[in-house]
Amino acid sequence: MADLEPVVGRYLNLESGGRPYRIFYEEAGQGRPLICLHTAGADSRQFRHVLNDTDITARFRVLAFDLPLHGRSNPPDGWWLEKYRLTTEVYLGLIRDFWRALGLERPVVMGCSMGGAIVLKVASDHQDEIAGIVGLESTAFAEGRDNDFLHHPAIHGGELAACYTYGLNGPDSPEEGCRENWWYYSQSGPGVYKGDVWYYCEDWDAREDIKRIDTNRCKVSLLTGEYDYSATPEMTRQAADSIPGCRFTVMKGIGHFPMVENYALFRGYLLEELALMA
Amino acid sequence: MGAKPTPGWMERYRERVNADPEMRVIGDWFSLDFKLAFEGDAWLLSVREGRIADIVHNPRFDRPARFTISAPMRVWERFIRPDPEPLYHDFFAMLMRVPEFEIDGDSLAAMQNARALHRMMNILKTMEPPDGRS
Repeated sequence: MADLEPVVGRYLNLESGGRPYRIFYEEAGQGRPLICLHTAGADSRQFRHVLNDTDITARFRVLAFDLPLHGRSNPPDGWWLEKYRLTTEVYLGLIRDFWRALGLERPVVMGCSMGGAIVLKVASDHQDEIAGIVGLESTAFAEGRDNDFLHHPAIHGGELAACYTYGLNGPDSPEEGCRENWWYYSQSGPGVYKGDVWYYCEDWDAREDIKRIDTNRCKVSLLTGEYDYSATPEMTRQAADSIPGCRFTVMKGIGHFPMVENYALFRGYLLEELALMA
Repeated sequence: MGAKPTPGWMERYRERVNADPEMRVIGDWFSLDFKLAFEGDAWLLSVREGRIADIVHNPRFDRPARFTISAPMRVWERFIRPDPEPLYHDFFAMLMRVPEFEIDGDSLAAMQNARALHRMMNILKTMEPPDGRS
């Protein structure tokens, strides 16, 4: 008998910001929708352990989609005439239009890194439409990751992005998880990681927006790895301090990619937060 | 303050790099000279196809290096240890968050070889801390 996972991939055609997109997503489970947002320059494969975790899929319909230009989601038409730069406005619109296109009611939105950043904006701008957010490695403001070598004709961008992010794993995380994430990072298109980092480091600033989040309407859980030097625990703490009622936990021994680098350790932290949002 | 690397310590590093199975997979195109500087004490590493072919302690001006990776010993000590603390646990972490950890010279060449160079730095991290004797 074939050893099939319960994860199913689908393509969704939707319009966002006046542009048509063909979006790939994977899903598994039943219950309250749990939308998962991957990190910069990566794709939804990072959430394969969440999608296969029956303690989660028994209560949640887990959906992980690839942003346009990432994974199996095509770039929008005319992409070859644009320098890719993700913006807060486009990113937020795509997430909102994804759950609206699928008719998802009161989802929980979970994201990591740049996904962990944008969920703060999802909460501030759409708190009556969602049940809550789980921010992994979240910051309301981030600087310092951009550099011109990330998209350079004399450098293999995939290898550099993969190595550049490899150290973001916790030093004691299982090597196979860290290497798996390396592989995902090595596969993004030219300039995609840099275009995502531009959003994260140049466009993103939600320090005022997050003050509008009402945790009585939208639950907020922020989980940050001890070894994350991109979104450090202190940076997440600063965001948490602006959100009364927010839960904030530093995950010992974990780095920037909890769902892929060390899922066995991460799931305990995650299940505790999801139990509050089911 | 801890001791700086000795010739014997650097030789053991060379053996560890040259015996590393991953370097044999990824090192084919990594051929250049660069320096590791431990608080001004410099070691020129001549890397050829992913193997350290030669090491020169405090080379003279007639041995140019493409780039130099340098830091004070108090920074290296926090990196070369079994249980590094956050921000000192990785080469790229220190480049981003530890101002005294620097890469000077042709950083383009360094990043062109990011995978093999990063592997060499990760091997360096596994060395026993220098004790100045062996």
